[in-house]
Amino acid sequence: MENHDMTQDILKELFNISVGRAAGILSDIVQQKIHLTVPNVRILDVSSETYAIDEYISMKKKGTLMVSTLSFKENYTGKASLIFSAEKMKKFISLCLQEEQQDSEEMDFNDVDFDIIKEIGNILLNCILGETGNLLNISFKYTLPEVRLFNLSEFKFDYQNTGNSHILFLYITFVIGDTEIEGAVIVDLLLNSLNDLLTKINQLEEALYE
Amino acid sequence: MIKILIVDDSVFSQRMTSNVLKKCLAQSEVYFAGDGWEGLKKYQEKKPDYIFVDLLMPGLDGHGLIKLIKEYDPSANIIVVSADVQNQVREEMEKHHIITFINKPFTEEKAQIICNMMKERDNGKP
Repeated sequence: MENHDMTQDILKELFNISVGRAAGILSDIVQQKIHLTVPNVRILDVSSETYAIDEYISMKKKGTLMVSTLSFKENYTGKASLIFSAEKMKKFISLCLQEEQQDSEEMDFNDVDFDIIKEIGNILLNCILGETGNLLNISFKYTLPEVRLFNLSEFKFDYQNTGNSHILFLYITFVIGDTEIEGAVIVDLLLNSLNDLLTKINQLEEALYE
Repeated sequence: MIKILIVDDSVFSQRMTSNVLKKCLAQSEVYFAGDGWEGLKKYQEKKPDYIFVDLLMPGLDGHGLIKLIKEYDPSANIIVVSADVQNQVREEMEKHHIITFINKPFTEEKAQIICNMMKERDNGKP
């Protein structure tokens, strides 16, 4: 396996482990089985490869996305986002509260709804970042979680305007039980943090052959 | 009657923690605070037997709150309930002599362990 492929393989596996743990937590909350896809790991050039975000966010290209974000700064700078189709959010909230499911696709969200999505995003993204950090012996200093509604072009614009030339794009989708609720997770890192992370991965890789 | 204070900026998590605790503690009184400053004020007012503290909160965060509470009352019984799974964060919190560090979500199984521990401590009181 070539060096670059091995780096991707390690990143993908670390992401896979941490997302697996997060899926376990989500499963406990909603009392449903979570189906995961194989994660994708890519380093994207933000100026020329935003089409890649289109390629991955297949869930609802024309609809509204509800995005829960956890940012981090200091040692490592970047953010992780949990993305859902906003139309399915009432159903998702009912699952979280273990209430009878609402079939409506209404988009009239109140403060309690936003609070739930923000807190679930906080729990899952903390798990994904924190478990990856534990495996690589790196730490993240988080800022307060946020939740926002976007359409896909606004979401891409937000990524293009982070000031990052390249982003580490870790992407995975999941489906909650038989509810047809699809979600995605994206983690992106500022270039310096990305380089540092790749150094850590290389050290891990070297240790494999010692 | 065990008095409990839950400090969390998420109303969802406040209720989730309170609901599962009430299932295993028949005799309890639960108070809530949405951030660290409100938590400190309520701690001084209500003098709870146990305080459940989230870490990532606006204003005064959980870490800051724990330090202030321990200065005010070194024997405070603090339980951290956080989404943060980082080993370093857990180790840092444990230096403040908290009772335990629990990762969210606060489930019935986790609540049962905490409730048993509370009851044991309560029985051991002179």
